[in-house]
Amino acid sequence: MQPVVLLISLILMAALTAAFWLAARASRGEAPGPKANSKRTGLIWAMTIAGVIISVGSLRQWPHALASTGDALEVHVSGGQWWWDIDTTEIPAGTPVNFNVTTEDVTHGMGIYDSGLTLLTQVQAIPGYTTKLTYTFTEPGTYQVLCMEFCGVAHHDMVNEFEVVAAEE
Amino acid sequence: MSTASEPAAAGHAATEPSAAPQAGAVKLTMILSGAVFALMMVFGLIMRAAQGQWIELDPALFYQILTAHGAGMVGTAALSGAAILWYFSGRHVVLTAGIYWAFLGLFLLGVVLILGAIFVGGYGGAWTFLFPLPALSGGAWEAGAAAAFMLGYVSIGVGFLLYYLELGRQIHARYGSLARALGWNLILGREDKNPPPPTIVAAAAVTIFNSIGIILGAAVLVASLVHLLVPGFEVDALLAKNLIYFFGHVFINASIYMAVTAVYEILPEYTGRPWKSNRLFAIAWNAVLIFVMAVYWHHLLQDVVMPPWMLVVGQLVSYFSGIPLIAVTAFSTFLYVRGSKMTWDLASSLLVLSVAGWSVGSIPASIDGMISVNKVMHNTMWVPGHFHTYLLLGEVAMAFGFMAWLVRGKTISQMGGLDRAAFATYLAGAAGFVTVFLFSGAASIPRRWAVHYEEWLTHDRIGTLFSVLVVLGTLIFVLRFVARLGRSEG
Repeated sequence: MQPVVLLISLILMAALTAAFWLAARASRGEAPGPKANSKRTGLIWAMTIAGVIISVGSLRQWPHALASTGDALEVHVSGGQWWWDIDTTEIPAGTPVNFNVTTEDVTHGMGIYDSGLTLLTQVQAIPGYTTKLTYTFTEPGTYQVLCMEFCGVAHHDMVNEFEVVAAEE
Repeated sequence: MSTASEPAAAGHAATEPSAAPQAGAVKLTMILSGAVFALMMVFGLIMRAAQGQWIELDPALFYQILTAHGAGMVGTAALSGAAILWYFSGRHVVLTAGIYWAFLGLFLLGVVLILGAIFVGGYGGAWTFLFPLPALSGGAWEAGAAAAFMLGYVSIGVGFLLYYLELGRQIHARYGSLARALGWNLILGREDKNPPPPTIVAAAAVTIFNSIGIILGAAVLVASLVHLLVPGFEVDALLAKNLIYFFGHVFINASIYMAVTAVYEILPEYTGRPWKSNRLFAIAWNAVLIFVMAVYWHHLLQDVVMPPWMLVVGQLVSYFSGIPLIAVTAFSTFLYVRGSKMTWDLASSLLVLSVAGWSVGSIPASIDGMISVNKVMHNTMWVPGHFHTYLLLGEVAMAFGFMAWLVRGKTISQMGGLDRAAFATYLAGAAGFVTVFLFSGAASIPRRWAVHYEEWLTHDRIGTLFSVLVVLGTLIFVLRFVARLGRSEG
């Protein structure tokens, strides 16, 4: 997902930058015509309609939806300064996994990275709460859990890993 | 219709608004702001160089510098924004100088406490003081250091409340009510022979939302302080996080919304077109008043125990708050500039750049505000990527533009060679610096890590080079301002 997000962002940012550049260059040109404000109205409507479409499209399926417990493997992850404890070291590929995440001290962030150091998903670990996250791994391999919420002087050392193994036939 | 370019005539009585209100105090504030901006940028450069392994930095010191950089940048953005708003509000209402000096004194007291907490006490819990981290340092700092840090915030907060109390009081005295100052007569189509100028609309809105933010911030600061003294006193961590992010989000946004009054008041001098309050402008600012307070949930999109509707509101408002910014402020800037035959000196160039940087930075911010995107971007380098865009190229550019205008002299002239070089250096450095952050976020590099993996070093080193340019450009802006302080404003 990240490359697509980057590409879309850079295109939109470049387009808006170009609009400012053209406006600055146009300071020597003609004054805005009488239709300028109708263009603004059009822009407001376009942004509103685009916003409704994007919002409905991105929220129709709830991004934090959990797999039902009957279908999923339950994995418990506990965090503390500055360690992760994962109660399952081998996870089968292709099976939804419900991570139940807790913390013993301060707020942490459980980020799951693949072997290429790409962030796949994450959830916050909040004192006094159990937060839940569903993810289905498709590729076997070694995955890392990195802390995504600043938690003190060894925040960058708060790393652990687990294996995803090929599903049994 | 009130306009942004109708300062009161010279020779005013003491009870009348002034063309150059309390310029000495404001200039002093901008000297301090410029110096702290430069120092904090050097801190940023040090952190990027350390992440790139070009210099060695103990992680404990890295996180202390991170804390100073965050608190220092947010505080200075707010300080410079407050100075700008005070200056231009003084053109429309009479403000008490003593209140400003008390505000500045409390701010400086807060700075001393915060710097002492960090560099003497070793506090390195980040500017967000996320409960209960200040009390659980793992041996890195004592409770006293955390308490001093938070008392520093309290001092700054009290100063800001005094500031807003005075601003709100005087706006009320002049316009009868904050509702009228917010342009409700314009919105409702009622006749108003003296409608509020854009600066007053902005001042009224910021006074309301930032006062609420600071009061809620004070509540969580007091609770955190009591927790330090009485560890058995527990606070719900999720409630504390909500209060902290409400306060933090509103406070940093207020700094931009205060500083944008420099655009409203200065740009018309160049374009010859007064920046007017009208119905659309008033609607936009009233929307901002709501949006700024409703959008902070986008900081908690991965706190899945939050009520889902709050996360949905966070996503929706993240997107829709871009409409008043792009369709009103940015679009109006296009119209004011187009065909104006304006002179492009350092002040006008920085002010137009600031609206561009603010608007452009809202794009990656809004995209990160989508829950599904946030799952893979939250707390990666994407986040400093977008907020550095609308701060470095937005609020800070507004502050530097205001500083350049304060010392431009009586006439407007084209940019000289040094100004041109400084502007190009700053723009190239800042644009490159934030773009590297965005690429780093897309590469999943987590933010706030003192030690980086080998795979990430190229990002860090390119970012370091761009940050050198930002520091150079900033030093020229600040030294130029100090060297020209003898000149009067335009």
